[in-house]
Amino acid sequence: MLSYILRRLLLALGTAWAISVLAFIIIQLPPGDYITTYIAQLAADGTTVSDAEAAALREQYGLDQPIYVQYAKWMGQVMRGNYGMSMEWGRPVADLIGERLWLTVAVAIAAIIFTWILALPIGVYSAVRRYSLGDYVFTVIGFLGLAIPNFLLALALMYFGYVFFSANIGGLFSPELVDAPWSGAKLWDLIQHLPVPAIVLGVAGTAEMIRVMRANLLDELNKPYVKTARARGLAESRVILKYPVRVALNPFVSTIGYLFPYIVSGSIIVSLVLGLPTVGPLLLRALLAQDMFLAGAIVLMLGIMTVIGTLISDLLLMWVDPRIRMGAR
Amino acid sequence: MGRFTRRSILKGSALIASGAIIGQGLPMAAFAQEPLGSQLIGPLEGPEIVLDPARFPTSFAEAPALAERVASGDLPPVSERVGQDPLVVAPLHEIGIYGGTLRKGFVGPSDQWSGVRIGGHDTVLAMDYSNTRVMPNIAKAFEWSDDGLVLTLSLRRGMKWSDGHPFTTDDFLFWYEDIYSYADLTASPHAQMSINGKPITMEKVDDLTVRYVCPEPYPLLPELLAGAGVMGFGHAQYGRTLQGGFAPAHYMKQFHPKYTPQEEVDAAAAEAGFDNWQALFKFKIDWAINLEVPSVTAWKPATPANTPTWRLERNPYSIYVDTAGNQLPYIDDIVMTLAENLEVLNLRAVAGEFDYQERHIDLSKLPVLIENQERGNYSVHLDPGAYGGDFLIRPNLTFPADTDAEIAKWLTSVEFRRALSLGIERDQLNETFWLGIGTPGSPIPEVENAYYPGDGYRTLWHTYDPDQANQILDGLGLTQKDGEGFRMRTDGAGRLRFEFMTFAGMFLPFTQIAEMVAAQWRAIGIEANVVEVERGLGSNRVSGNEYQLWAWSNDTTETLFTAIHALPISTSPASQNPLMGLWYDTNGEQGVAPPERIQEAMALYRQGASVPPEERGELGKAIWKTIVEDVVQIGCVGLSPALMGVRVVNNRLGNAPQRQFNSTVVRTPGGSLPETFFWKA
Amino acid sequence: MADIPLAPDAATTPNRSAGKVLVASQWQLMWWRFRRHKLAMAGTVVVLLFYVVVVLADFLAYSDPNSSEAFRSLLPPQPIHFFDQGTFRPHVYGLVGERDPATFKRIYVPDPENKIPVGFFVPGYSYKLFGVIPTNIHLFGALEGRTEDSIFLFGTDVQGRDIWSRLMVGTATSLTIGLAGVVVSLFLGLLLGGISGFYGGWVDNVIQRVIEILRSIPTIPLWMGLAAAMPRDWSVIQIYLAITLIISVIGWTELARVVRGRFLSLREEDFVMAAELAGCSRMRIIFRHMLPSFFSHIIAAVTLAFPAMILSETSLSFLGLGMRPPAVSWGVLLQQAQNVQAIAISPWLLIPAIPVILVILAFNFMGDGIRDAADPYS
Repeated sequence: MLSYILRRLLLALGTAWAISVLAFIIIQLPPGDYITTYIAQLAADGTTVSDAEAAALREQYGLDQPIYVQYAKWMGQVMRGNYGMSMEWGRPVADLIGERLWLTVAVAIAAIIFTWILALPIGVYSAVRRYSLGDYVFTVIGFLGLAIPNFLLALALMYFGYVFFSANIGGLFSPELVDAPWSGAKLWDLIQHLPVPAIVLGVAGTAEMIRVMRANLLDELNKPYVKTARARGLAESRVILKYPVRVALNPFVSTIGYLFPYIVSGSIIVSLVLGLPTVGPLLLRALLAQDMFLAGAIVLMLGIMTVIGTLISDLLLMWVDPRIRMGAR
Repeated sequence: MGRFTRRSILKGSALIASGAIIGQGLPMAAFAQEPLGSQLIGPLEGPEIVLDPARFPTSFAEAPALAERVASGDLPPVSERVGQDPLVVAPLHEIGIYGGTLRKGFVGPSDQWSGVRIGGHDTVLAMDYSNTRVMPNIAKAFEWSDDGLVLTLSLRRGMKWSDGHPFTTDDFLFWYEDIYSYADLTASPHAQMSINGKPITMEKVDDLTVRYVCPEPYPLLPELLAGAGVMGFGHAQYGRTLQGGFAPAHYMKQFHPKYTPQEEVDAAAAEAGFDNWQALFKFKIDWAINLEVPSVTAWKPATPANTPTWRLERNPYSIYVDTAGNQLPYIDDIVMTLAENLEVLNLRAVAGEFDYQERHIDLSKLPVLIENQERGNYSVHLDPGAYGGDFLIRPNLTFPADTDAEIAKWLTSVEFRRALSLGIERDQLNETFWLGIGTPGSPIPEVENAYYPGDGYRTLWHTYDPDQANQILDGLGLTQKDGEGFRMRTDGAGRLRFEFMTFAGMFLPFTQIAEMVAAQWRAIGIEANVVEVERGLGSNRVSGNEYQLWAWSNDTTETLFTAIHALPISTSPASQNPLMGLWYDTNGEQGVAPPERIQEAMALYRQGASVPPEERGELGKAIWKTIVEDVVQIGCVGLSPALMGVRVVNNRLGNAPQRQFNSTVVRTPGGSLPETFFWKA
Repeated sequence: MADIPLAPDAATTPNRSAGKVLVASQWQLMWWRFRRHKLAMAGTVVVLLFYVVVVLADFLAYSDPNSSEAFRSLLPPQPIHFFDQGTFRPHVYGLVGERDPATFKRIYVPDPENKIPVGFFVPGYSYKLFGVIPTNIHLFGALEGRTEDSIFLFGTDVQGRDIWSRLMVGTATSLTIGLAGVVVSLFLGLLLGGISGFYGGWVDNVIQRVIEILRSIPTIPLWMGLAAAMPRDWSVIQIYLAITLIISVIGWTELARVVRGRFLSLREEDFVMAAELAGCSRMRIIFRHMLPSFFSHIIAAVTLAFPAMILSETSLSFLGLGMRPPAVSWGVLLQQAQNVQAIAISPWLLIPAIPVILVILAFNFMGDGIRDAADPYS
């Protein structure tokens, strides 16, 4: 078993390294670089940057080196914990990501909670009352979230939030509290702003969760112990909820590992539409501007979180399912 | 049969920009109709900069918060802070009261204009609110010598930087000698710092007097100092690109190797995470990012622009005062919130979350803004631009024949360009993308403009006449057409196809507009392939002389002689033909020679810098005539509020003008002096 | 101890359906189970209807999707009236439109006196039926004047183009991209997943690692990188194909996973061992013996891959990386509706979201139904 864990760890490291290379390549793929964008911006302002100055700038940022040299330099820095400076923001990448990370986590957790609240009851009902009208109705509702294009939903919710509830437009805080230090009031303000992002992001995941819940529960419900419990006169609700549902929930535990990076990646567009101060919009801007260090750091971070998450999931699963532990194929 | 026709629509949509102009309606409008949008376009108005010493205040008052600091000994008294020569302003409507916050929106660290335009217009001189007169701003007065070769600027006695240090000629000289002329910081001289190829120089007379010495008469110089030229741009927006005309010498010397040993400067750069001392220098001089750099603007950044909330707070050493002696600004701070995308920003404006916003507001959302005025407690105003081309098409006049001789031949043919222009149905574009509010026609500026060449030139070659266009194209020899009706190349290499480049993220949906134009050109048998590119790449293509047709705008050409978007006189990648600009700059030694008619126009342009404003009128008109007659650019729609012309104003804001002159030169809304805005009780 | 009949005699079985069950083929069994799942049945019907639209897109449209006319900009949907004073005579009203100077909205007033008759199989814009037959007949259209100026079932967009017609054509484009993307994903998934599962060992490991890497990278940067590397002057068709490939790059990993899983579990089955011992070639074992066992699972996975393809296409268009004018797809239509003024003032621009939702729901239910029907243990 130890060898298995070690092997997985090594593989995870290898995957992480491969991701770093891919991330770097993807960001450099579009023609041009940050200086190209910068020069264009200045040109639009009426300032001309001569070729000599452009070359000097490129040298300044190290953009005139061949790509593998740039990569090596970047990786070297990252290993030492220095994530570099964002060219667009003029601030350390670590600061930029750091100040948005907590909010990203908060939004992701809110979305996950919303998904669970919506999906679990529907999944249970769907399994228990299979092929009934109620099953169909709730399943359609549950799957609607997956079907509606989330960017459209986000914009619509934001607009109607204003029209009907005079809600702030986008963002996670009221304008007065954005810069205020953390306090109880600010926390409450955040919680009040979380429903819209949570709903938009959460509904997309309900479908899958309903499916899994329903499938797992159906498996359980067909087992002899359920028949026994029923035969022995236990109330139907207890029959279902006390054991089968709990067992059906087990596999979910292992999915928690990669759920977070999955939600963060999937929330990039929605976060942009809703104007949330999270990592998603930051990444999009960085990609468009080819702000290498910022984009690279975020992509790398997300990739590694997924790898770690998968690793944790595998380990959890292995712990739960002895067959895998034994190395059976 | 009553089919759905255009006549019934055209009745209600005569298209004009300003209420003062006589209706330019389409031929069918036989009765007087209010031009569309005119009820939202007010009279042009603004505060008055007082120059008559008799009206200068003798005693001064200040904001309560500052008074407290004076009482506690933190600040010197207000009369010392504003100095002996403050800039006296008569507010538009009334003397205001202190207090409050002005809320705006911006889109990121590259959007420093948002902060500079509202609170950071520290140009050396400034255009007044109507963009007609050059007024003092940072400098107290300017005067030409009798021979017209020396421009003397007088500075303000007792004027101080925001940290209390005196503002003197040394700050000008530091910029001129140690930044502009310092090889390691500025690689090459700027065209505006010379007249007819001969450089001008700056000299110190005394601590409060600086002068520009010109080898030949350079009457354009005051306008350049008023924000149109590198020596007058000001420190707030252009300091970071090492331009502007002056810089805080006492603060910046510590980062300059001439005054601080090179090793120290290098070490400081490395410690701050910069690769070299120049990068550190540019960072430290940046008004928007470095909170410690002193400034002379009325508000000063309290949080940097690369954070989600960019806050400007009042500068205790502001030189602005009203006629009653109150030190301006009235409003305590300006808070700009970051909007991650433009829909969010516009939606916030709709919801009334901004108090004075024109930047980034999308014209197509006008109906939504109007609908929500009452609920949001704001009013919508339209400030049409004075330039004729929100969207125009630039043919690449220097497209290399080596790359494609056929394309080069047609792009450089005046007749061909005229045909293209006649094939555009501008009313369609105007109605779809400008809500019918713009003015279709050529790129010439508005009627009141000093260089307006005449009514005929609005429509010359710029009407919709596909028959004539087809005739011209047939006459040029493009008679072969393929199966789908597109004209074939005369060199036998297939269909004649042009690449039409647009940039993403402009203030209007340029790509969609281009698609519509391309669809219209089908009727005259021309195929245009619209290609949208990121700005950076687009700029590259322009510098590399690779583009064929390019959609751009010509804002700032209302001040023709300081503009680079009318004639291709600049080497900037934002200019139509940088190679022609190179020819112009080097007097023919390098670059590509323009066609004769353009050369003549360029000569007039060059002359314009050497003659006083009163004499430039005829020169300017002649230049515009050439541009229209030769279709140097193909105009489509202009004179509209599309670019920063849709303004939402909180109803409680005092001294806000009904209409402001919408132009970069005036630093709109800088020209309206937001220092005089205040919150009514 | 009760007598347990070992092989019930078909003739003596009182329950006829029990007899049918005994001799029913695998596919028939699946079909019966599938039929029970009403949502799945409904989903399948919807999907089939949509593909009918795909085939007949231009026929069902009535206005040229690219015909723009500023003076019909942002027309609200106009109904077809079927009865004219008692008689069945479908018609639409003529319209007079003007821009309201106070609100800047375009106001259209129908004129009930001006009735434009509507008929079936009316000539309109030219197109090629099934891509080969040139024709200009459309299902319905205006009998007088140009249909482009008369019928607006779903209203028009900001350039005055009819939304119904654009929706028809857009459906065809999007569902074809979806189909193409799924086919590519299926091919890659079968190939790589099969190799991975059947051979195992280090080949399996490498492929698994590649899959994991691809799944770990956030999709949006990957798309942006790939799309940005795409030359901008490609024709619409070339961009179309490139987009399909870009979307499939992620899609195949899911299918490969399913295929591999099935191969792994089937490899241990007795019948495979028997076939090997009997001397069957690898190919024969895979195609004749293993594949049929999990064919139904593949179908289910493929069906469930469609929604992802379609959503990917809309997301790409939102980012500005997808199909561009003059191409029309759901992504293009939704992108043009993705703004405040559409939601606040011209909500009919959002109608294209409805078929997107319907199709995604339909594919999901269909796929679920197939999966449930194929799984013998549920």
